[in-house]
Amino acid sequence: MRTLLIALGNSLRGDDGVAHRVLELLGARVEARSVMQLTPELAAEIAGFDTVVFLDAAAGIQTVTMEDVPEPTAAATLTHVSRPAEIVALSTALFGFRGRALECRIPVADFAAGQQLSPLAEHFANEAAQLLGQTI
Amino acid sequence: MSRIQFIEPVTRIEGHAKISIQLDERGQVSLARFHILEFRGFEKICEGRPFQEMPGLMSRTCGICPVSHVLASSKAGDMLLGVEIPIAAEQQRRLLNYAQILQSHALSFFHLSSPDFLMGMDAPPAQRNIFGLLQNESDFVRRGIRLRQFGQRVIELVGGKKVHPGWSGPGGVHHRFTSEQRDEILGWIPEATESLSIALDRWKGLIDSFRPEMDFMGNFPSLFLATVNEHGGLEYYDGLIRIVDGRGNAIAEKLDPKRYFTYLGEASEDYSYVKFPYYQPFGYPQGHYRVGPLARLNVAAYAGTPRADRELKEFKQRGEGAVCESFHFHLARLIEMIHCVERIEELMANPDLYGENIQAHASLNRREGVGSCEAPRGTLFHHYWVDSEGLMERANLLIATSQNNQAMNLSVDQAARRFLKASATGEFEEGMLNRLEAAIRCYDPCLSCSTHALGQMPLMVDVVGADGKLIRRIARDC
Repeated sequence: MRTLLIALGNSLRGDDGVAHRVLELLGARVEARSVMQLTPELAAEIAGFDTVVFLDAAAGIQTVTMEDVPEPTAAATLTHVSRPAEIVALSTALFGFRGRALECRIPVADFAAGQQLSPLAEHFANEAAQLLGQTI
Repeated sequence: MSRIQFIEPVTRIEGHAKISIQLDERGQVSLARFHILEFRGFEKICEGRPFQEMPGLMSRTCGICPVSHVLASSKAGDMLLGVEIPIAAEQQRRLLNYAQILQSHALSFFHLSSPDFLMGMDAPPAQRNIFGLLQNESDFVRRGIRLRQFGQRVIELVGGKKVHPGWSGPGGVHHRFTSEQRDEILGWIPEATESLSIALDRWKGLIDSFRPEMDFMGNFPSLFLATVNEHGGLEYYDGLIRIVDGRGNAIAEKLDPKRYFTYLGEASEDYSYVKFPYYQPFGYPQGHYRVGPLARLNVAAYAGTPRADRELKEFKQRGEGAVCESFHFHLARLIEMIHCVERIEELMANPDLYGENIQAHASLNRREGVGSCEAPRGTLFHHYWVDSEGLMERANLLIATSQNNQAMNLSVDQAARRFLKASATGEFEEGMLNRLEAAIRCYDPCLSCSTHALGQMPLMVDVVGADGKLIRRIARDC
């Protein structure tokens, strides 16, 4: 059972880098990729995994959530910015991905420039790491 | 009563923009403009930072072509140090620039523009995208993704990460190139070569069905500017600037890119945040010029690799001295991708790439430095001024997309006049509006770079009447 964690976010924009902190907390126990943004070639890279989890910061939520990646919307075009749904759809259609794809959203508060996480983001990074540790 | 229509946001481009269409009393297009609405102010952010930090900062300018910004910034830093970098470092920089151009062009051609070609300009927009191609063109789409993956993998292998790599700086690069990296890169070459052959054959078979688009989506004489090597051949990393006119006549030769400010000017217009560069001796706006793949192939006498040379020769036959149809940016991108793969393979056999000496050591020796290179979208200049401590006093970034700004405006205007015909109720068919966007996509503009904003690349169209009132706004999500 192979699981890949993909941490998304800009570590220079405060809490936007919270997903990368989750990978640090999980250490070498998991296969993971840290990326600033999703790019189309990830569709090829995730194909061999049984489970892929996209970790990202989310404003306006109160708790760590873990949900299946939805189907891409009709308007999805895959331009220079991609979303998990598009990467998974491409991987399924073109590279034979048959696994499960999840989105882990981590509550954050502060996107100001800087490499420090807010106390809230640090708290939920630990919570997300715990949840992932139990799940994968 | 005349009116103006706006296409907003323009889709499948990088950044935010809109197109405005002015209609006259008879409902005919009297003027169309491309408005770039972002502002980031990267030059201002740099002030006060040590120049050694600039490549790392500048790589953040863009998530699509960070390597180009790192290279131009590193070269400006080389000049501030007053050093010539070791040959191994230069070859490594060349390698990553080829990989950068390959991955960026693959995204532009296969992902952003091929839905127009393969599904038709009039296909419903909800289907005219990469997902719409999955059912009948899955092999084509897969090959496009793999080509981009190849370019990104080279960047990741050598630069440490595929987006915003910071492996190069003033004086050289940070890590030696290894035989393990070579072996992995060479493993990608056969598939990349095959995919590009297939794509090129496919595209050549389709081109003639786009004759109206070729003729009216940016078909006009202009100057073309690009870097060439000392013999006039295609060059992406370091060389001299050459400018040709719409008939291929040399207007200026062997211009020093470090002195760009002596022959290039920058005008402003109140409808766009992006500057309008021009060739100073011709004045503004007559001195507008195009850069990027089309310009490079018009300016260069030869490519210097076998397959690209064959294709370049055939390409040049499409024009009388120069190929003036912006629609041929797409063909030019394919030829450049072929060239990049050939050059990457060549470099793997070049012992200079594997040298141990990768860094020239020096302290600050100059107060002003300019770095330039050919980015995917055209010639890129970084110009820095520092104080005696090496802290940035000022920066000027002359970005490829801004150098195509006037040409994009002319292309939108030409396409609007030819393709936009309002119905009796004043509506425009979707395919008409898409041709306006497609005119812009020829240039693969990167507005995030050129305005110095966090881009998602949507675009809008507004239609405004002769009385200046907004009649209609069409907005699409990216």
